[in-house]
Amino acid sequence: MFRVLAALVAFTVLARIPVGFDVGFKFDAALAVIWAFGLLSLVLLTGYVGQISLCQATFAGVGAYTAGLMVAGFHADYLVAVVAGVAAAFVLGVIVGIPALRLRGITLAIVTLGIALVFDRYVFQDHAFEWFTGGTAGWRVDQATMFGLQMDSSKHLMAAYVVLLALFCVVALLMVNLHDSGAGRRLRAIRDSELAAATMGVNLTRYKLLAFGMSAAIAGLGGSFYPLVAGSVSPQPFWLFTSLQFAAIAVLMGVRYVPAAALGGVFMAVVPDVLTRFGHGTFMGRAYDISYDWFQIAVGVLLIVQLIALPDGVWGDLRARALHAWSAAGALGGRKVKVA
Amino acid sequence: MGAFAAYTIIGLGLGGIFSLAALGIVLIYRTTGVLNFAHGAMGMFSTFVAWQVFYGWSHPFWPTWLSTLLAVLAGLIFAAIMGLTLEFAVFRWVRTREPVVKAVITIGVLLALQSAASLIWKNNQYHLPIYLAPQQATFQLAGVPIGANYIVIVVMALGLAFGLGAFLRYTSFGRAMRAVSDSPTSASLWGVPVNKVSAVSWMLGSLVAALAGILITPFINFDTTSLTLLIIDALAAALIGGLVSLPLTVLGGFVLGLLETYPTIWIQSLGFPRLVALLVIIAVLIVRNPRGFAVVAK
Repeated sequence: MFRVLAALVAFTVLARIPVGFDVGFKFDAALAVIWAFGLLSLVLLTGYVGQISLCQATFAGVGAYTAGLMVAGFHADYLVAVVAGVAAAFVLGVIVGIPALRLRGITLAIVTLGIALVFDRYVFQDHAFEWFTGGTAGWRVDQATMFGLQMDSSKHLMAAYVVLLALFCVVALLMVNLHDSGAGRRLRAIRDSELAAATMGVNLTRYKLLAFGMSAAIAGLGGSFYPLVAGSVSPQPFWLFTSLQFAAIAVLMGVRYVPAAALGGVFMAVVPDVLTRFGHGTFMGRAYDISYDWFQIAVGVLLIVQLIALPDGVWGDLRARALHAWSAAGALGGRKVKVA
Repeated sequence: MGAFAAYTIIGLGLGGIFSLAALGIVLIYRTTGVLNFAHGAMGMFSTFVAWQVFYGWSHPFWPTWLSTLLAVLAGLIFAAIMGLTLEFAVFRWVRTREPVVKAVITIGVLLALQSAASLIWKNNQYHLPIYLAPQQATFQLAGVPIGANYIVIVVMALGLAFGLGAFLRYTSFGRAMRAVSDSPTSASLWGVPVNKVSAVSWMLGSLVAALAGILITPFINFDTTSLTLLIIDALAAALIGGLVSLPLTVLGGFVLGLLETYPTIWIQSLGFPRLVALLVIIAVLIVRNPRGFAVVAK
């Protein structure tokens, strides 16, 4: 009950925040939710099941291109497009999960890196797949409707943002509940020891494929809203380096915690925009211009420092500190507080 | 038939570069247990340093061989310093962590290096090759002209593979490196300087990556990303060698180079070779026992 309440409060507060800002920041807010879906998919796959993946942006990209194809190619309702995008991502996720049945750790990282690169350089860019990607121009989505409401990007960005945010809150709530459910315990058993989990009767094949499929579906859910928010689809947002950034930021923020995904999404969408918007001028007589590259350098360096110093991620570390402070305060008051 | 032979030579040249890149990965993985996803990025950065010296800073009246020599030296010295810096600043502190954590750290290194390079040299495509052998020098083999550069690449890949193999097998420092790769703990109990060994392997690996990057410049229009993405071909070649065997890695590099070149006779696509690399990786992982790879990194 507390969780539902927390999700509702988060939704109400977050839905209001971008209202006063200009279109650029509204776009950032919607993009933040899309990236947060990508990071949430890693919380499921890496945080719960312990499988590494370097191709989450590929799943998001497949969702985006499928949705773009449905809307621009078949003039479908956007709801249909989202369902198709999620389904396509789910199928690709299950296919990627097949090699993961035998692989773990770094070999799985190599395979998923290869998949991300093939989609980045070949599927999303090659003329052999023009029917899927809409050619070099990509799909343009300017007349989209959802539930019969006008939802195109330029004028109705806030509508798209609110729908995205509501979906994110629901999925995040489901993820938190999954953690303690029977299925969640089985997934976490796979993370801790596949052998032990199999001995306890966990169907490894089924749960690993399901985990990959669900994770890809979550990333694809975010991605399938990308054409609505941005107005078009292009390969660049879903290229290999986005996948690597997903992995880096998910680990940086704390890959085992659902709220860390929201934090990471905001970090990934808002910080580069703020940097490039306000990061130019003159300082001590020298002109400076902060470009997007500085963001990626910061992500790389922060990831290295975090993995050496705070292995549980930013959110995990903050959470541990808060719980310690809570229990210390409880001890001062003479009460016994159970620290989870 | 002539076209086929020409493609074979291009494929062998490309394969030699994959082999060189893969040798560095195998060397670092064997001795430190770090699977270096940033290997391509490290080679890219050193290549750009060499390129900067060759096209930016050398005097137009200097003879070409002098600029080339200076450029290659600058690239290699930079690579050595970068490898040592990474070992001292980053990987020394995570020696006992799991292989996956170390691999994720190299992703951080990759992102930082790639952006730093694109900050300095912008996102332009360059086609400004550095030829280690004179560009015009060709040999005739059975009526097919072979550029001297291809021969340099192939000889260098084979030479480095066997040279490194001999170094690991016959010198006492090489024995120390192999001891560390078998078990760092027992090696250190026997008095093997584990820190020194891993510093040297990072330096050597970075040097080999720089060499591969410089040698590939005549082949492709390169930018900061395309050289970074060489990693996937290098990883494929390294997997063929089981991440352990140097000769098999070089063989794998050549096979992969040929496999990626022949389809370009029929398919004009920049992305298709990546698919070949992925299929090779999956095929290798199906044929070999994947658990065999984890033996080195405890």
